[in-house]
Amino acid sequence: MELIKRLGLNKNEVGNTSHITVNTDICKKCIDKPCIKVCPAGTYEDDKENGIIVHYERCLECGAALYACPFGALDFKYPEKGVSYIYG
Amino acid sequence: MDYDVDVAIMGGGLAGISAAITAANKGLSVIVLERGERSGSKNVSGGRMYIHSLEKLLGNRFRDAPLELPIKKETFEIYTEEKKISFSFENKETENSYSILRSKFDTWFASEAENMGVPVSYSTLVSGIDREDGGLVLRSDRGDIRTPLLIESDGAAAFASRYLGLVKEKQFSMQPVEKLENNPDFMPRQFMVGVKEIIDKKTENTYGEARTILGLSGDIKGGGFSYTNKETTSIGLTLKLDSLEKHKEKAFELIEDFREKLGIEGKLLEYSAHLIPFYRFDSLPPRYADNLMVTGDAAGFLINDGFTIRGMDNAIESGRLAGEAAKKIFDSGDYRDTFIYEQMLEDSFILKDMKAASRISTLFGNERTFDAYPKMMAGIMERMFSVTDNPRENIKDVMRDEVKKNGIGYYTLIEDMLKVI
Repeated sequence: MELIKRLGLNKNEVGNTSHITVNTDICKKCIDKPCIKVCPAGTYEDDKENGIIVHYERCLECGAALYACPFGALDFKYPEKGVSYIYG
Repeated sequence: MDYDVDVAIMGGGLAGISAAITAANKGLSVIVLERGERSGSKNVSGGRMYIHSLEKLLGNRFRDAPLELPIKKETFEIYTEEKKISFSFENKETENSYSILRSKFDTWFASEAENMGVPVSYSTLVSGIDREDGGLVLRSDRGDIRTPLLIESDGAAAFASRYLGLVKEKQFSMQPVEKLENNPDFMPRQFMVGVKEIIDKKTENTYGEARTILGLSGDIKGGGFSYTNKETTSIGLTLKLDSLEKHKEKAFELIEDFREKLGIEGKLLEYSAHLIPFYRFDSLPPRYADNLMVTGDAAGFLINDGFTIRGMDNAIESGRLAGEAAKKIFDSGDYRDTFIYEQMLEDSFILKDMKAASRISTLFGNERTFDAYPKMMAGIMERMFSVTDNPRENIKDVMRDEVKKNGIGYYTLIEDMLKVI
């Protein structure tokens, strides 16, 4: 199943503002972009202009990216509402 | 400072609710702060709970818990290329562990605490903690909570410890990730990400089955699992963050492939992800500080001894111990001195089992476990199960040859074998 359909199975109350911010000055210089590689929800996308674009509405709140960026570019907080699992 | 409660608990999962039940039983005033709309709505577990801690906490009441099926069949499967080695163990009498779905379970578990009069404040996100006048002020979206004691039960990401400056990752200058992988301060080494699917497939058995699977996570270091529930099947992969960072394969692609290779068919009902602590025993995060006790995943209480992988029983027991310690600290009047909790942990199975498992967990950090050893074992099996017109080979010669062929040194092999024993 495609990622977007996969994520669509979950109840997710997305807020108006992003709970994740990135320091694009660092992201633009980043070689490996580890946030893209660890995220199980495709929240981070490579972007020529900004280095990284954040699709925060996809986030499953696992926190992997919080510990994934070794360069201190990522500020991750939990959203006020966000995802609710039925099975877990 | 005037306090709102005797003890505040951040996180209404297994550890937090266990702490709340215990502390309330001992007469303390407690509040649980849970960021989900109900307990369990943000929780994901592989799906098997060893039941001893729950039974110790609740006595016979644990039988009311909405567990799934008692696990009576264990299967280990190792895949390498087109080959697969597996073994199974069945015990029809055991009820030592159960498959479990956390959303349902935790909601029930929290209601047990609420029935005792413990307030659980849902949809409550703590966004900062300040130290004031010998106590703590928790800043939440529902206002400030003043407490002399905090039990942290907020999962592997451990936000409370971060707010208090106890956990702080080192920031490196820009360089390829490959150069950082052996650096002890490189945090991705300390975590796995779990991705999980719930499949609409019901088992034909009246009991549950657990499968532990190696070799189906592509180039990523990690493992797989499958548990049968009453109505559904849980499958998932646990993937090391540092390994994911070095490869192009994504978790959501790997799990798709994993399900296909397992041949489990059925509608996908849920896709979830969760962070899993994977600290080395000698680099565990702080378990206590002034006014603070850390429990469950936040304290890195995951035990992997090669046969069992468990976090939920540790969460419940560490929560129970923190609840007991809270009463002792309350009676002593010195809220800063939480060392008693550390002493209780040291006397418990948690730290003892973690220490014992720490030798074997070093095996899971090396490439041999995921590559050379499975290939070696499959090579031995292939040759022992094949008959040709050449004379049969002696098993000792085959073993020696396969060890050599896979580039494993004898000293390394013996050393790794000793870790298992």
